[in-house]
Amino acid sequence: MTKETFLHEKHVQLGAKMVDFAGWHMPVQYTSIIEEHNTVRNAVGLFDVSHMGEVFVSGKDSLDFLQKIVPQDISKLAYEKAVYCQLPKPDGGLIDDLIIYKLGINYYLIICNASRIDEDLNWMVRNSKGFDVTIDNQSHNYSLLAVQGPKADALLRKMGLDTCQESFTIKPAKLRNRKLLISRTGYTGEDGYEILVENRHSEELWDKILEYGKPYGIKPIGLGARDTLRLEAALHLYGNDLDENTTPVEAGLSWSIPKDKEADYNGKSVIMEQLKNGVNKKLIGLKMLDKNIARHGYDVYFNGEKAGVITSGGVSPVLGANIALAYVKNIKEICTGAVVQVMIREKLHDAEVVKRPFVEKRNKVKF
Amino acid sequence: MTITENILCSKSHEYLLKNDDETYTIGLTDYAVEQLGDIVFLELPEVGVSFSKGDTFATVESVKAASEIYMPVSGKILEVNTVLADTPELLNEDVYEKGWLVKIKATGDGSEQDDLLEYEDYKEELE
Repeated sequence: MTKETFLHEKHVQLGAKMVDFAGWHMPVQYTSIIEEHNTVRNAVGLFDVSHMGEVFVSGKDSLDFLQKIVPQDISKLAYEKAVYCQLPKPDGGLIDDLIIYKLGINYYLIICNASRIDEDLNWMVRNSKGFDVTIDNQSHNYSLLAVQGPKADALLRKMGLDTCQESFTIKPAKLRNRKLLISRTGYTGEDGYEILVENRHSEELWDKILEYGKPYGIKPIGLGARDTLRLEAALHLYGNDLDENTTPVEAGLSWSIPKDKEADYNGKSVIMEQLKNGVNKKLIGLKMLDKNIARHGYDVYFNGEKAGVITSGGVSPVLGANIALAYVKNIKEICTGAVVQVMIREKLHDAEVVKRPFVEKRNKVKF
Repeated sequence: MTITENILCSKSHEYLLKNDDETYTIGLTDYAVEQLGDIVFLELPEVGVSFSKGDTFATVESVKAASEIYMPVSGKILEVNTVLADTPELLNEDVYEKGWLVKIKATGDGSEQDDLLEYEDYKEELE
């Protein structure tokens, strides 16, 4: 059965086009994907991302448990800080990618992909044997609202949610006595916030954000623009750009993996070996040189031979060009500036290898 | 009299409009375009090429996905709306006057139109 978020009625009232996504009936667009995309780049947009999973981890072995399941060094994660993580198997392939927040001593929040909640929980429970931890899936009790764009901070201040926090931090806040958890994170490449709220208060929060956001030009944003925004920012989408057969090193996520983490973790030997000796495939960014659009699953050719596959592709409203992420064999000739071909409807179309992200990210806010 | 009174629609959302000179114009229905959302690219056939009813003769790309466009009847391409190459978004404004796709000479017999629906019936079928 398809699930609905607690904001479903709001989307329908706003005239959203609804689609099934990861078992959820979600808004794909309210007016136009391109218009919604530009609203987030230029002003501020509001997303319902309540389909995402929220899992709380507590108990005296919380740290040791998390250290075992992610390559990132959770022992260095400070109170109220967040870190982007992956959940590797022993062979380095990924169960999911997620964000871990430290909420207190032996108290962590994991936000994971809607499409992977069951696999993640299963994996975490299996890996928790011998650890004194409680893995508490609270996904059904929380709604998650993302407020993203250059005006997001001003809007939250206007609402009295003056949390004064840097990127990748999480803070508790209150709005009319409703308890919120506000994280300065997102999936758009813009500055912005993700706000965790109990389901029963989600409609009220949604309305308030739209009301206060009016002077800032706020619009509700669907999953369609969420995808084009994250693609411009070259942020991975699990199921497209990440899967159980791809390691974080192959996925271009080496930057997120500490080389000096002492604790052992699932996949450590493979990941460390790959960091040292390199990998056979790599993730690249592509810009189409004509008006064709590369889509997920299309083959990539180099020098007349099949060299890889597109994992995400679409339009970049900001660049006015079509862009894609692809995995190709790791040879030095396929480098920035090189031209490859994408097979689209039985014809080869040129694409240039370009740096990721495609559009400069503006989400790093430090004091 | 509005244009929709003169068109026939296929279940795969193409329309067929008979012109005064016995040629036909083919395009996507307004419903199809609304469902697709922002149109960003069109791949259209060359003039002179012949297709059978049901053949893929063009592809439309919206922000979301690529979709094939099928011939509602058999025919030979007489004219292509080349303006769409640079301004595919015209389809989002209007699918008839500005956003038509091709003009054809029908090469099949009239019975090929038997499974096409009048606009009102097509609309009804969607509900």
